[in-house]
Amino acid sequence: MSDLKFSESGRKKYEWLLTRYPEKQAVLLPALRIAEEEFGELGLPEMKYVANLLGISPSRVFGVVTFYTHFRRAGTGKFHIQVCSTLSCALRGSQDVVDHIAGRLGIECGETTEDGLFTLTKVECLGSCDTAPMFQLNDDYHESLTIEDVDRIIDDCRNGSGKNGASGKNGGSA
Amino acid sequence: MSFEKFFTKYLHEPDCHTLDFYKKNYQGYQGARKALHEWEPDALIDEVKASNLRGRGGAGFPTGVKWGFVPKKTDKPKYLAINADESEPGTFKDRVIMEKNPHQLLEGIIINSWAVGIHDAYIYIRGEYVFATRRLERAIEEAYQDGILGEKTLGKDFRLDVTVHRGAGAYICGEETGMLTSLEGERGLPKLKPPFPAVEGLWHCPTVVQNVETVANLPLILEIGSAAYKQIGPEASPGPKLYCVSGHVERPGTIEAPMGVNLLTLINEHCGGVWKGRKLKAVIPGGSSAHVLHARECDVAMDIESLAAAGTMLGSAGVIVMDDQTCMVNALLNIMRFYHHESCGQCTPCREGTGWLEKIVHRIAYGHGQLEDLALIDSVCDRMVGKTICVLADAAAFPAWSFIEKFRDEFVHCIEHGGSPEVKKRHPKRVGGGLRV
Amino acid sequence: MSDPQASDPQKVVHWLLDGKPVENPAGMTIYEAARSHDVEIPNFCYHPGLTIAGNCRICMVETNRSKKPVISCSERISEGLEVQTQSEMAVTSRNSVMEFQLINHPLDCPVCDKAGECVLQDHSFSHGPDRSRFVEDKNIRHTKELGPTIDIWGNRCIVCTRCVRFCDEISGSSELCVVERGDRSVVDIFPGVPIDNPLAGNVVDICPVGALISNDFKFEARIWNMKKTDSLCGGCARGCNVEVQSLDGFVKRLVPRENPQVNQWWICDEGRYDYRYLLANDRVTECSLDGTTVDDRTAHETLASWLGESGLGKAGGTLGILVDPYLTCEEAFLVGEIAAKLPGTILGGWRSADGLAQSFPGHFTISGEKSPNRLGVEAVLGREVFGSEGAALRAALAGGEVATLLVFAGFPHPDLDDSWTSAVASAPRRAVFALRSGPTTEGAALVLPGSSPFEKEGTWVNEDGFLQRVRSYIAPGATEWGHDLQRLQAVMRGAGLRSKSLSPAAIFRELSESKTPFAGLSHTALPPHGAPLPGFSRVAVGSEGNAG
Repeated sequence: MSDLKFSESGRKKYEWLLTRYPEKQAVLLPALRIAEEEFGELGLPEMKYVANLLGISPSRVFGVVTFYTHFRRAGTGKFHIQVCSTLSCALRGSQDVVDHIAGRLGIECGETTEDGLFTLTKVECLGSCDTAPMFQLNDDYHESLTIEDVDRIIDDCRNGSGKNGASGKNGGSA
Repeated sequence: MSFEKFFTKYLHEPDCHTLDFYKKNYQGYQGARKALHEWEPDALIDEVKASNLRGRGGAGFPTGVKWGFVPKKTDKPKYLAINADESEPGTFKDRVIMEKNPHQLLEGIIINSWAVGIHDAYIYIRGEYVFATRRLERAIEEAYQDGILGEKTLGKDFRLDVTVHRGAGAYICGEETGMLTSLEGERGLPKLKPPFPAVEGLWHCPTVVQNVETVANLPLILEIGSAAYKQIGPEASPGPKLYCVSGHVERPGTIEAPMGVNLLTLINEHCGGVWKGRKLKAVIPGGSSAHVLHARECDVAMDIESLAAAGTMLGSAGVIVMDDQTCMVNALLNIMRFYHHESCGQCTPCREGTGWLEKIVHRIAYGHGQLEDLALIDSVCDRMVGKTICVLADAAAFPAWSFIEKFRDEFVHCIEHGGSPEVKKRHPKRVGGGLRV
Repeated sequence: MSDPQASDPQKVVHWLLDGKPVENPAGMTIYEAARSHDVEIPNFCYHPGLTIAGNCRICMVETNRSKKPVISCSERISEGLEVQTQSEMAVTSRNSVMEFQLINHPLDCPVCDKAGECVLQDHSFSHGPDRSRFVEDKNIRHTKELGPTIDIWGNRCIVCTRCVRFCDEISGSSELCVVERGDRSVVDIFPGVPIDNPLAGNVVDICPVGALISNDFKFEARIWNMKKTDSLCGGCARGCNVEVQSLDGFVKRLVPRENPQVNQWWICDEGRYDYRYLLANDRVTECSLDGTTVDDRTAHETLASWLGESGLGKAGGTLGILVDPYLTCEEAFLVGEIAAKLPGTILGGWRSADGLAQSFPGHFTISGEKSPNRLGVEAVLGREVFGSEGAALRAALAGGEVATLLVFAGFPHPDLDDSWTSAVASAPRRAVFALRSGPTTEGAALVLPGSSPFEKEGTWVNEDGFLQRVRSYIAPGATEWGHDLQRLQAVMRGAGLRSKSLSPAAIFRELSESKTPFAGLSHTALPPHGAPLPGFSRVAVGSEGNAG
């Protein structure tokens, strides 16, 4: 077991969550989100940490994590580009966006660039069909994309100004 | 009677999501205050029944009737689970409410909780909606600070706690019992019914599951009364409605209109018509699991009954428009891939059937199809429908059936001419060659 | 919505099963109720010992209450319900599920260990289509080790989740999970946390297909070639019901037999894999006299002559008999007869030290007592030979009072207390029925091969006072090492204590006629699940099955 541990604020958030549900296991998904945020990804040690925290078997956590597609799994690049490719986006050219990004980054869908910066994934409907084509870059939606937008966003990420995709059109704080 | 927008009136105001704005411009929380201080819960349930409010999540179940199923005499706590796992392809209306008008949802939650006697509500929001989650959490914080939520909801001796619960990427968690299982911290597998959630839901306790938009209608019902509410749109399924229009239109977006707006009006007047001056070929009117409508079937009112009569459904009101250059085989392949990807894998017919359907349609699109495959798809769908715990299998079968039924000539053309033109353009080397066995 | 009377088992529900009016207590599922009328509905995910998952869908039937087919494993019967198990809807539903189950299932029955007892094979034959319409590539899933004793062949997995539920509900160890979703989903462990709970082997038994495979049995035998013998596990006092499966006289594996009052559907791994000692190098396979191999006849005559001269006032002096808790009731009866006919005989018993009892969430218990028939031997002999009388024999040995000691050492794993071994060694003349050689046989004047628990014919009484049949997987005496009960009778005949050799059933008849607790019982009349022994039973007759 590694020396993983939630930070003080992560711990506080976790403990607050425990007060919001009658059963401890309900906190599993939220706790995995805290782990993802605190540790950067959900690999096996992180899953085991959360399992111990909740007092459930690691296999249960493993089954849960692999069921969902939106957790940040181990090995994901710093910038995770998830291009929506379901029907509405496909009708408005999402495949062109995917092909362009793949070409620029020199990777296929599902792969990560060698420098560990970008991971490109095709995902199913992100609920942003009116602003197709679009992708989610880490937390943020980038919508109504043109090829120029895509290039700019990738450049921003490379230059460091795209920290956590903050150039998102509706990004920023609530 | 002219239609006054209820959800989207102030959509473009930068502060529309704040409590101050909501109070000032919407008479925010007056409906909930009225409910708590002037309505007995049972009478309130009757009022909502009288309003004919029907669920906006897809099934269109009468909301008041659903509340009536919750046992009155029970020692168990009751829960409210708001389904904000909006994930039906073509649907993005709940996101608008949560991002632009989160307090309307919270007010609806208060009214719903008071009527049914609920003290803990959860908003299960899809994990991808990070921005909407932040907005909701901020709104809840404001509500607690303002005494709207908490031990004394709006000054009444009635505790109500609301918690936002993030999903993590699974379409099936939009199915009500899949969502409950996920909320309990498990793989989001739909539960066997009976028991129904109203009797045994979260943690085996009575649970009301409501879609975001449904609950957000409640303040309006309290404000104008059920009689006036029923005047908006058709009486059997009335109310203001958010339509999500996407695909090949000039101005896609969330359109608020009374229930029963004509589909062509929606496309041509609200959304600027089919894009690039092209002609309409087909429309999926209620999210990708609805039967597709041929262009000639699109002069139809967008309400539950009218669409059912047209052989499709209002579903989640996700309207996906396809122009005359769309390859229907390729479009169906996209939908089949979606359901294959999203089947939870619990029930055999869905787990195996969704993958099989994708493989067959893929084969046709890539030029390896045979005419017999169309009958095979029909038969596979027939063997999936109605044989599973939830309706994901049906949701995959409906588009497969309707695409082939209504655009059969395109499928036949694809089979006889070496694949989908779109696929041939994109992957010239991967197409053709007859059936691989 | 919910009818409070719906689950009241006092209430009788009248319903129609395939057009025939039938009745059952309220609360039963369609599957259970149909079964009670000999209508077998196929299933994969259903297991009577586990919660209902309802995922395989093969048990769908048509009812008058739903337009869609319903699953009979979870749907309950109600007044006026009409169920069709052979209607077109029901038949097509089953046929559909079978077609779906098989599209991604490999056609590797010829190399699959499950073939022959595979539920998928059986249902495919009975309910499935006779050809596949699937021309696509099949999905590939992992094949790997899940634990020290269990492999998974993922391509065969139908994700019924029986194994996952077993680990959650019965063993409580939760090592297994389903990973991924849709048709990628498959059973797995958390990497680095193998399935190694004490009941792990059961997941292989309940796997309806060949996905979970026992390392121990892998490629060992084809199911249909094996001989199957209903017997008991001798690993502890629980008396779990097992089926001993053997090929050409070699035991290949043990699998549990259902017994609601003893072991439900399960056995522990310790018992399951404990049969290798049958072929241990130190197994005693021939008689020996003063260290020299002798034929059976010589050995029997020698022992008979020793018995003949033993007894109060006789030249041979006092006879001591040390029994083990592996003796069947029938064998113990013969021992009791020897003691009764040779006045002055001192009886005692010895047994392995108690281990730790283990209880599991699914009400399954591994007994701390490692003696399978202590209670039975004591019931037959009418005294606590393993308690105070055992101590008395040891004292007599220490005091030099015993001239000849007859020892039963049928221990599969001789791990006996040193004080006993030295007491036994102190006897001036010693004859031993031994399963394995060791300190007990060392220096013994006469050694006779003992039968293992799987080679015995007779009855045992478990820790709850439940009398059950133990049977030999091989014809008694067919082994080169013979059979305890036959040897004992041969010796008794030689000593003039019995006139002829009888079958175990006949000896039991004598036992039931002379010993009160056994009165009225017989081998043939003993129910398949055994019977409580009056005065010894902790289980009330007809009570709810609960091994815990």
